[in-house]
Amino acid sequence: MRGLILFFFGLLLMSCSRVEPIYHMQSFVFGTMVDISIYGESEEDAQAISNDIIRQFQDLHNRLHAWRPSEITVLNHAFRSGKVPVRIAPDIADIIADATELSIKSKGAFNPAIGALINEWGFQQDEFKPVKVNQQRIAQLVKANPQMVDIVVDDGKVFSTNPSVQLDLGGYAKGYALDQALLILRKQGVSNALINIGGNIIALGKHGDQPWRVGIQHPRKPNAIATLDLPSGWAIGTSGDYQRYFELKGVRYCHIINPATGYPVQGVQSVTVLIPPQPNAGVLSDVTSKPIFIAQPEARASVARQIGIQDYLVIENDNRILASASMAQRLTWLDKQAQQHVVEAP
Amino acid sequence: MTHSITSIATNPQDHKIARLTALAIGMHVLEAIFPSPLPGVKPGIANIVTLFVLMEFDFATAAWVSLLRVFASSLLLGQFLTPTFILSLSGAVASLIVLRFAQHLPRKYFSVITLSILAAFGHIAGQLLVVRIWLIPQAGVAYLIPVFALAALFFGCVNGLVVARVIQNRQHG
Amino acid sequence: MWLKRLKNAAYPDFLLGDWVVLVASLVVVLLLFKILWSHQQANRLEVRQGSKILGVYDLNQARSLSVAGPLGVSEIVIQHGKARFKHSPCANQYCVHQGWLKTVGQVAICLPNHISLELLGEKKPYDSLNY
Repeated sequence: MRGLILFFFGLLLMSCSRVEPIYHMQSFVFGTMVDISIYGESEEDAQAISNDIIRQFQDLHNRLHAWRPSEITVLNHAFRSGKVPVRIAPDIADIIADATELSIKSKGAFNPAIGALINEWGFQQDEFKPVKVNQQRIAQLVKANPQMVDIVVDDGKVFSTNPSVQLDLGGYAKGYALDQALLILRKQGVSNALINIGGNIIALGKHGDQPWRVGIQHPRKPNAIATLDLPSGWAIGTSGDYQRYFELKGVRYCHIINPATGYPVQGVQSVTVLIPPQPNAGVLSDVTSKPIFIAQPEARASVARQIGIQDYLVIENDNRILASASMAQRLTWLDKQAQQHVVEAP
Repeated sequence: MTHSITSIATNPQDHKIARLTALAIGMHVLEAIFPSPLPGVKPGIANIVTLFVLMEFDFATAAWVSLLRVFASSLLLGQFLTPTFILSLSGAVASLIVLRFAQHLPRKYFSVITLSILAAFGHIAGQLLVVRIWLIPQAGVAYLIPVFALAALFFGCVNGLVVARVIQNRQHG
Repeated sequence: MWLKRLKNAAYPDFLLGDWVVLVASLVVVLLLFKILWSHQQANRLEVRQGSKILGVYDLNQARSLSVAGPLGVSEIVIQHGKARFKHSPCANQYCVHQGWLKTVGQVAICLPNHISLELLGEKKPYDSLNY
């Protein structure tokens, strides 16, 4: 009888999950939610490192803010008023150089110089409301053609040859912060962590003996559409029309504006990209989804190829789902209904 | 005025059954009084009596003892027609249905332990069914099912062993 | 035979069929655990405000919560194993439009009011959500 009891007790214990050495913290930075998971460190260490990361994020956020007084707004003011060179911090100079290179590579689809357009659409606000834009003003802003290459950096000083250039690093800063976080984690000797800044995620190491696993949000439902394993050093990012948008007369206007037309992109719900390990994996996860998002449906595959993206997933407005061959292999579908609408990208 | 005493002819077997039913009621009430460490999980010791009667008498007698026990205990505890009573009844009926068929299993290979395990599963299945379709239809009880099933298996085993030992002692002693 | 020895030594009452039933039942119970517990069955709601966990609530107990954030009070309801934002002081109301959360790992976030809801269960299908 004692054996029987022990046996059942053992069964019960087995079915209860044991406590994992995982630390989890959440905070609100960059106008979004930051979520840090650290595996295999003591709670005190994990907490100290997380706090350090959050502090650095907050600092970066304050310095790069596009509408509250920051190093960027000082720059934008100088750009507007003429060719007076302004001294900038070395890391900001690096960011501008890197963003310029990526903008060229994307043929201007990624363009952080269109701050004035974004402002015109009312997205440079903590709480944005439906805006009825002045079409002429939009046309003017597009015609002024602000480009990253108009910015000249020389000897720690910067000026713009085009007064319409207004920096908004909203599509770059979160990814940059991911890369910074990975540097901090590695310097502190952390070998397993997962950092999520407003949906952009970078992985380091594993979750125990399993790789880190991320869910991809359904753009119209409150649940995950699929999951995938994020190996160490990989990053994932999504551009969606559901994170920041407003509706006016039944039409959805999202925060991603096509620099070529000056209007928010319509017709696509989300674009997710997966970036293999590299020094700027975080930045790429943030930046590279935009050109695919902005492209015409038939051009998505060629745009992805042109900017060097192998793994991507597009959810179109008509619920069609386009997945690159390598991405399709990585996905585990949770939403069986959505799975039926998957088309493999050419 | 005349006093009339209605007397029903009884035989020793009736007395025996009455005593066993009384024992079952006692066990039922005892279990109801002592709180269970896990809400909803109970050893169901009164089933020991039901199984004993099934083994020593027949199915009809066991059914009588079981149902009498449920009604009488709920009256004693003041739970008659309350949800507790309904759960108790549905469990008893479901386990009787299972026993009705399981009793025909060849005794050479299947002892009362098998009957006890199957009855315990029937018991919990009947109760969960009533909870799901009637008492709280919207409650998410699904994740509790494995816990209840494990408890049913354990207590089914133990109760069956107890019955087996009791019968053995009677035969040898 | 070891089975026979074990049978005779410890459990003389168990017949061959009893062992079969016992093992089969164990398999059924383990399968039940596997199916019903690894499934995305949520049973708790975690409510966070800022970087603090305000509480973890049982999803089977109907209740409503009022949570104060930087913009004001958000109202959250729990009912029949589901949870949602009911009222929010924010302008865009995305959190309210998220509707009911039902399965483990589902998240509703009110960015303006710094409040997040997440459904917890025995097993999370993913570590973090890409959105």
